[in-house]
Amino acid sequence: MTADVTGGAGPPAPPDVPSSPPPHGGGPARRFGGRATALLFNVRVLRIAGQVAAIVVLLVLAAYLADNYRANVADRNSRTGWGFLDEPTGFGIAYAPNFRPGQPVRDALRVGVVNTAASALVGIALATVIGVVVGVLRLSNSWVARKASTLYVEIIRNVPVLLVMIFLAAGLLTLPRIQEARQIDGLAVISNRAIAVVSPVAGDNLGLYLALVAAGVVAAVALAAWRTRVSNASGAPERRGLWCGGLLLAVVVGGYYALGAPITWSHPEAEGLGVVGGFSFNIPYVAITVALAVYHGSHIAEIVRGSVQAVPHGQTEAATAIGLSEIQRLRFVVLPQAFRIAVPPTINQYLSLIKNTSLGIAVAYSDVASLAFRLVGSSRAPALQMVLVLMAIYLTFSLLTSFFLNILNRRLQLVER
Amino acid sequence: MLRRTRAFPVIALLVVAGIFGAACSDDSGDDDESSGDDSEEASSSSQSEDGTLAAVIDRGTLNCGVNNSVPGFGFETEDGTFEGFDIDYCKALAAAVLGDPDAVEYVPLTPEQRFPSLASGEIDVLMRNTTWTSTRDGAEGAAFVTTTFYDGQAMMVPAASGVTSIDALNGATICLTAGTTTEQNLADRMAGITHTPQTFEENAQVQEAFLAGQCDAWTSDRSQLAGIRSNWPADSGGPAALTILDETFSKEPLGPAVVDGDSEWFDVVNWVVLATIEAEELGVTSENLDEMLESDDPAVRRFLGQPVDVEGEEAVVDHGFGVDPDFTVDVIRAVGNYGEIYDRNVGPDTPLQQTREGTLNALHTDGGLHYSPPFR
Repeated sequence: MTADVTGGAGPPAPPDVPSSPPPHGGGPARRFGGRATALLFNVRVLRIAGQVAAIVVLLVLAAYLADNYRANVADRNSRTGWGFLDEPTGFGIAYAPNFRPGQPVRDALRVGVVNTAASALVGIALATVIGVVVGVLRLSNSWVARKASTLYVEIIRNVPVLLVMIFLAAGLLTLPRIQEARQIDGLAVISNRAIAVVSPVAGDNLGLYLALVAAGVVAAVALAAWRTRVSNASGAPERRGLWCGGLLLAVVVGGYYALGAPITWSHPEAEGLGVVGGFSFNIPYVAITVALAVYHGSHIAEIVRGSVQAVPHGQTEAATAIGLSEIQRLRFVVLPQAFRIAVPPTINQYLSLIKNTSLGIAVAYSDVASLAFRLVGSSRAPALQMVLVLMAIYLTFSLLTSFFLNILNRRLQLVER
Repeated sequence: MLRRTRAFPVIALLVVAGIFGAACSDDSGDDDESSGDDSEEASSSSQSEDGTLAAVIDRGTLNCGVNNSVPGFGFETEDGTFEGFDIDYCKALAAAVLGDPDAVEYVPLTPEQRFPSLASGEIDVLMRNTTWTSTRDGAEGAAFVTTTFYDGQAMMVPAASGVTSIDALNGATICLTAGTTTEQNLADRMAGITHTPQTFEENAQVQEAFLAGQCDAWTSDRSQLAGIRSNWPADSGGPAALTILDETFSKEPLGPAVVDGDSEWFDVVNWVVLATIEAEELGVTSENLDEMLESDDPAVRRFLGQPVDVEGEEAVVDHGFGVDPDFTVDVIRAVGNYGEIYDRNVGPDTPLQQTREGTLNALHTDGGLHYSPPFR
């Protein structure tokens, strides 16, 4: 590298002439230019002026749009301000039995946020599981597993998510009616209104039981440490699984019977026009959550497959060379490196899954977007303010998610020394 | 090379100056515009040059916001034509303003879209079985003209369910379309009764869910339910498979809406609606229109914009809202009077089978609510 005399990138300058102050026709001419002219021809000054001009243009544009909005709202006698958030909602929300129509709009939005979070979180978890399993199957040695997973990925990944959702919702409608619901021995009730499963209910002494289990876990950890010490001292096998597992099993099962059923089970049953007992997943929730998981799972599967294949083959060969088994090779060499590659694109999938929950209205799910549209449609909220609120909500969701996942991502990346 | 180095700063300078200049003139232009707005607003009460009426005449077509899935009111047929009660009023308005009932651009809208669409000027008039309420009038930037159809909310259940009253719907899933006054009426009516209000975006989705047995009841305006029932698929039992319960639990005055603040356009739309009502009261129909043009009755002559003898001088009433005095002739020729519109779309001889006698939709002379101020 030669000495930097041109002052970095800038307008093309003759290579042998310093560019600052810029040349214009050689030395003598510069002296007659005067100070002001020299400034006008100074690249740095011009650059700053350009930036200032850009800011001014943006500000003027923003002011124009804001003014335009104000004038038009006043012109059309539309509602301004945020007072609508405290006015009553006026309608009920399906599957939110504690919500009363008289509650203010902000409460309705809160129900929507909870619903959105419920489908986003479960959707993300399911999508991850589907993605990892299918992604690994794509690389499997079994011809059937490989082809089946390829078929799944290529079909689902290449259709719009809305289509997957509507298809699934239409499929769920073909489940038996509530009057002819399929009951599986008190374990589950399946109908096109709700899918209910058996659920745990707090019995007597639940607190005591949980404390006992927690104590068991602490004891198991201590036991594990002790076994390691014994093993290090005497060379006897650790057998941590045997010792700790045995202890935990004894505590969990023994405690359960000793305390007289601290957890009881609520069995679902179809009764009248609904399901009583158990835990009910309403059909719109199932439709949107499963559709999102299936759709984004197919994308994550591709990420997983690509990441595993992106680990240099030399790593596998080296691992084989030092005598690691296939499982060990995956566990200690390939997967940790693939994981690092997979995290950033997977974060993107999570973010788009969160945003796609806003399609809930297509399957009658009361997510925050569909509630917002209903509020606008029934004249309970002005459209522009409502959209701004929605934008703020989705921004919060997405920024929080990427904030936490980026911390994880930074911790996972290799620190080069 | 040398020339480029020289030229660059000059060009950059020119660009910057240009941007600044544009920004400045933008500002001043802005001021000019707003002051221009003020002066126009001041004069708009007498005659506006940029109102909706002028825009429609300029464009040559009327943008009419409609429903496309409610038989009898606003329905798009398989060959893509629109028909129904509200559609006839679009035609009447186009006939009055443009002289051509077919100069209409139908814009199908969902409930959520309709008011933003009206406020943004995408549509000139909203004829989408929309209920006139105080908040819509006050806060949505819409202005409602005379009601064209007095409706009320009702409940429809499968005939096989044996349900005969709304109070028997305890624990039921009640399906409806989202973003309408229907949601609030339901909440009011069902206060204290456990129910799941399952809201869908469109009628077609409700129908699908209803057919699959996901819903125990379907609530909407009675006229809409009648339309849906009349169109019920034969392989699901046809109209007989459904019962509309007797109870009506809300007031739903349906009528056209225009954007707030354009009184001239408001007047035109309002008087087109009133013309259909007045025509029925005067006995003017699309069939006897030509005879009526020769009528000696001054009320009829004035209504039809024909010269009337006033103290020896022939004079034509000038309504003063920017359309020809004989716009009523175009309206009646295009769609007929109120009774004809009603009978053609929702009357006893249509699949909707809505009797008119004894309801609010009768003329005031028959005990109903339809009443037109005089045309004079």
